[in-house]
Amino acid sequence: MQESAYFKEYHPISGVWDEMYGDAGIRAHYTKVIEYLSRESSDDLTRKEELAKRLFMSQGITFTVYSSGEGIEKIFPFDIIPRIITADEWSFVEKGIKQRLRALNLFLKDIYDNQFIVKDGIVPIDIIYSCPHFLREMYKLQVPYNIYVHIAGIDLIRDHDGTFYVLEDNLRTPSGVSYMLENREITKRLFPDLLPQCGVRSVMEYPSILYKNLLSLSPRQISNPNIVLLSPGIYNSAYFEHTTLARLMGVELVEGRDLVVKDQKVYMKTTVGLQQVDVIYRRVDDEYLDPLVFNPSSILGVAGIMGAYRKGNVAIVNAIGNGVADDKAIYIYVPEMIKYYLGEEPLLKNVPTYQLGNEDERQYVFANINKMVVKKTNESGGYGMLMGHAASEEETEKYKKEILKAPRNFIAQPTISLSAAPCYIQGALHPRRIDLRPYALCGPDGIEIVPGGLTRVALKEGSLVVNSSQGGGSKDTWVLA
Amino acid sequence: MPDFRIEHITRYTYPSPVRDSANQIILYPIHDEYQEVIRQELHITGDPVVDTFIDYYGNEVGTFTYSQQHTSLTISSKLSVTTRQRPLPGNDIFPEQQWEDLKRLSQMVPYIDFLKPEYFDGIKELQAIVKSERSKEDTPSQVALRFCRYVYENFEYVKGVTTVETTMDEIWKLRAGVCQDFAHILTIMLRLVNIPARYVSGYICTNRHHTLRGEGATHAWAEAYIPDYGWLGIDPTNNCIANDTHVRLAVGRNFLDCSPVRGVYKGSSDHKLEVAVSVGYEDEAHHGSFLQEENTKAPDFKPVDDRPKNSYQQYMEMLQQQQQQQQQ
Amino acid sequence: MLSRVASSLYWLSRYVERSDGILRMLKINYASSQDTVQEFTWEPIIRIFAGHDEETAKLGNDSRAVIRYMVTGKSNPNSILNIITFARENARGVQEHITKDLWQCLNEYYHTVKDNRLENALKKDDPIGVLDVLIKQVMLYYGTVEITMERGEGRSFMNIGTYLERGIQSVDILDAKFVSIDDNPDLLRDTTYWKHLLLSLGGYEIYLKTYRTGFEAENVLEQVVLNNDFPRSVIYSVNHIQRYFERLKSDSNLDSSRELSFLIGRLQSHIRYSSVKTIEDEGLHTFLTQIRTQLFGIGDALNIHYFANS
Repeated sequence: MQESAYFKEYHPISGVWDEMYGDAGIRAHYTKVIEYLSRESSDDLTRKEELAKRLFMSQGITFTVYSSGEGIEKIFPFDIIPRIITADEWSFVEKGIKQRLRALNLFLKDIYDNQFIVKDGIVPIDIIYSCPHFLREMYKLQVPYNIYVHIAGIDLIRDHDGTFYVLEDNLRTPSGVSYMLENREITKRLFPDLLPQCGVRSVMEYPSILYKNLLSLSPRQISNPNIVLLSPGIYNSAYFEHTTLARLMGVELVEGRDLVVKDQKVYMKTTVGLQQVDVIYRRVDDEYLDPLVFNPSSILGVAGIMGAYRKGNVAIVNAIGNGVADDKAIYIYVPEMIKYYLGEEPLLKNVPTYQLGNEDERQYVFANINKMVVKKTNESGGYGMLMGHAASEEETEKYKKEILKAPRNFIAQPTISLSAAPCYIQGALHPRRIDLRPYALCGPDGIEIVPGGLTRVALKEGSLVVNSSQGGGSKDTWVLA
Repeated sequence: MPDFRIEHITRYTYPSPVRDSANQIILYPIHDEYQEVIRQELHITGDPVVDTFIDYYGNEVGTFTYSQQHTSLTISSKLSVTTRQRPLPGNDIFPEQQWEDLKRLSQMVPYIDFLKPEYFDGIKELQAIVKSERSKEDTPSQVALRFCRYVYENFEYVKGVTTVETTMDEIWKLRAGVCQDFAHILTIMLRLVNIPARYVSGYICTNRHHTLRGEGATHAWAEAYIPDYGWLGIDPTNNCIANDTHVRLAVGRNFLDCSPVRGVYKGSSDHKLEVAVSVGYEDEAHHGSFLQEENTKAPDFKPVDDRPKNSYQQYMEMLQQQQQQQQQ
Repeated sequence: MLSRVASSLYWLSRYVERSDGILRMLKINYASSQDTVQEFTWEPIIRIFAGHDEETAKLGNDSRAVIRYMVTGKSNPNSILNIITFARENARGVQEHITKDLWQCLNEYYHTVKDNRLENALKKDDPIGVLDVLIKQVMLYYGTVEITMERGEGRSFMNIGTYLERGIQSVDILDAKFVSIDDNPDLLRDTTYWKHLLLSLGGYEIYLKTYRTGFEAENVLEQVVLNNDFPRSVIYSVNHIQRYFERLKSDSNLDSSRELSFLIGRLQSHIRYSSVKTIEDEGLHTFLTQIRTQLFGIGDALNIHYFANS
């Protein structure tokens, strides 16, 4: 195969699984793309990269970064080279995620009802009752079809031998799906005909599956229930995603101030009076959802909505109180949950995790901190992390003090060597670390996962953090038929 | 077997009309073998439909909304309650056995929720006090009563020095407060020695011959879990066992779990709160008069979206809240 | 339509219209400041659009300073910069309800005002050139609304916002100009004075065609209040508020629309059955104050009945 100049510089990182390069050279599922790219000069690719940037900017696919009171609009960096997943890999990932979600859903139902898993001593009671997201308000509350996790964005990474691991379960307000959709749209424009040639499966069904599921949750059996997407508002970093999803599903985008609760029913305020709302896909955190029950100073929520939810007069997606299942300290027990509820062996592995609330584990982690990644159990988005191998001694000591104040709120994981994929950077291909977030949708008919997802990439050389807040970007993610 | 007639009125008045108010009330006395509600009449401005449910702690909770513009909201509850005296725990069991039993409870629902002493700056100091007050031979119920007396003797009962927002640190420095604060401290002390302790809200009913602290408003005390007995009510404000003169409305981990009335509304942040509780025996006439909120802490009543105050601050607050929503 | 959406469309339009009024006022007054023999004063402009405070007092009569304060002044809540930021935020919250073209158009207006080059040009180049660049942005905006926006409920709220704002501005400008006459009766016969008023409202040419007798206060008053064909007259604005409000009526909001119908109809009759003579008898200032109050009353009623902000 002919290799153009920018391929010669491609040096896989040693000891790291490379999605494109195997022991025997370029992996089979990448060959068609590589052939295609080889016909393009690096000028062509650079032009494509610029085109991508322009498309994102002109379509307003931006997020806003706030500094010193002024908002600066930025695009989420996009790397034009797709990340490719084989049919076999996908089928394994798909089964693994479905299995995990079934167990997590049963766990939520159980923990807010009979608590068998606690009584049987599988998950320690302490860890549940000390979790700030274990909401006693949800105890014995009936949710439609017993579904708690309607939308999940489970983060997967691959170790040096290509094994998939679950890094975290995002079961509250997983975001990024609009980038899965937009990245694909952009790729269609960048590489005409390449998608069908390679047999890439479509992701476009996502909004209609989500809509179908939302519709099925309507408490009123009427032909045209009111479904809304509740956004915190225009200053939220994911506001673009909220508008995109609302537009693609044809549902009303609302803010808390558009809604009001009257006699245990939720209404939206319209120019012709109040209209009852049946299903709310919310992108507002639990704590802010109902100022009457949770944070009284919230101005994003709807006072009394918990009462309507309790009465079954409105469906809320995802369910309230899911944070107890994606708490990073409870993550440790997910493989046990799978065995307990499903009687199955977990397909997807967990990353080994130390709970710093346990004295001996904490001591072990402190002794080996330069090989660890320490995280807060209730934070996501790459905030509040300590990368042991990269942190200065001063940072480490400060962080240790922080841990000792509330050890339950921290976990540590050995630094996992994320897999790498080729990225087009300054006229050549370079390996950069990636993860994978497929989006799973649970409805009364079961769990569906559109073949694809969001591949996030750490664009900085040597970086292992893929979060957008930490200089990460994204790639289109191809699942082959 | 005393019969009490209780009238509890909560009234909010606003200088300018407010709307979209959503409220939660925990005003339904607990039903059990020591307490029976003969009759309850609830009247609320605008006659809203009150929906009730049983919360995690077993309390009956009512919620209602009042969306029309209004300048006052009155919640009036008239009760007839019969209480029965409950026998006290005996001290004939070996104390060690009881302490052992308590240890086992610490990893069980529901006790686990009533065993976490919250952290505050003075906790070390309190730990030392707890240690010195407690003697090895005491049973848990004896320890509980000793702590009760400690709070009674070392804290001054002063109305109006604390509010709902006063932190434990401030109360600890003041060494003063009202029944809510007394109950709060007692629960922490009990939890420090591994006795499950819960917060109770309710009414204290006048003894025919002398008055007690906490009358004229909702009262608060604590309950300690005693092995082989159950929850024992202890009133540190009056240094007594809470028995048939105490009518229980709700139990929980703290004040917030039991607040009798709370609500949010849209409109002016200013409001005046008046609370009146009058108690009498079934066979006598009684009169209640309104008290300003000094006698009890103002229940949680907050305006949402409080624009008139300062639009800029409001805006910044909204900006911040919108930005901090986790998009996982 | 969600009340918030209706309210955002309405405010978006009010802000854009306000920016248009301010820019035109600035342009003409700047020109005027360059060729009046008599003492020229920015005072009425500042009074209408910014109000009096320590900061505006410092501006004095320095034309560039005033223009910069009115266009890019961060601390002036009514500066073009701040107004367009508000307009854009309103638009952002209703992006699914406006066309992409309109959103991009507004975005461009915003970026033009925020551009440092604009500020620099205001410091040293010809201010009229700079103001023209911005006025063109407003015209683009109106063209885009006209060509791309669906003729539905949303656009009616937008138009009501536009005409309400315009009506209020015309009233304010007239009031300010005539109040100055009270202090200085000589202005009554000052041709340039009236010429500038008409120019700033874009009504100079219509005036010339309508009145052949030169500049007279009565005629100016008649044109700005009562001329049905002059797009910046008070009656024109009120007629259009009425026209777009009629389109909003539906069966489900009879009670609320009845009150607004009444308010708009009353205002319309009040103006329609006035003449220069009755206005002068009543006292111009009293008349204008009444109109202004009624226009604000319509805004308040919209707030309560349609925007759910009681």
